[in-house]
Amino acid sequence: MRALGPGSVSSLLKLVLDVIAFALWASLALLLVAAFVALLLPVDLDLWRRIMEDTGVRMAMQARGPVFTVGLLALAAYVGVVLYIVHRLQRIFQTLTIGDPFRPRNVFRLRAIGFSLAGLEVINYGARMVSGWAFRDQVEDVRFNLNLTAWFAVLVVFVLAEVFREGARLRQEADLTI
Amino acid sequence: MAIRVQLDRLLVARRMSPSELADRVGLSASNLSILKTGEARAIRFTTLDALCRELDCQPGDLFGYESGSAEVLADDPGEDELE
Repeated sequence: MRALGPGSVSSLLKLVLDVIAFALWASLALLLVAAFVALLLPVDLDLWRRIMEDTGVRMAMQARGPVFTVGLLALAAYVGVVLYIVHRLQRIFQTLTIGDPFRPRNVFRLRAIGFSLAGLEVINYGARMVSGWAFRDQVEDVRFNLNLTAWFAVLVVFVLAEVFREGARLRQEADLTI
Repeated sequence: MAIRVQLDRLLVARRMSPSELADRVGLSASNLSILKTGEARAIRFTTLDALCRELDCQPGDLFGYESGSAEVLADDPGEDELE
């Protein structure tokens, strides 16, 4: 099976990305609605605690509706960034599906993905710190763990962007060779 | 680029249209236009060979060099719209 062009592995992966994007949009909408509802309505935290215990979540939450809302909004922001990454990947795979990967625009898309991955790590650290402060009486020690794999992936993506930049330059040279 | 492709002069001398030359040489009209307007970065020997054959000229008749011409390097994002 070919890697590029119509009916290739790239087109199959683009289809998978389309499904993932749809699921992420739905999740984002649900999170925003839940955050809005959490702000307006009293939350039965005993029910939430039972649900979380049943699903294996260890943290116990105190009766802080606004903090619960902030948590949901932070999760919505995380999902939003992931959605942005998936959207950039969809555009890249669109060019792979038509068999034309070395477009200059793909360089910017890859860099955007790199910055977004770094942003996800920053959001993760921020959320850990805030939850550690907000639930310091209930939550176990929140330790700052440097995720080397994630940061390695960020660097790899930036290097890939430079590879695509060189590819786009060579493609332009080839196009303008008569 | 300081290199100038002097196709127009030769086309007039041979009483040939650009589209006719493109057909004879095996180039598309757009590629011939890129060559004529100086946007081309390189030319293949096979193309040069075909041009000299159809225009009955020497390679030196096709090109001129204008010293002191500024070279503009293009480095824009390309044709895709900003997202």
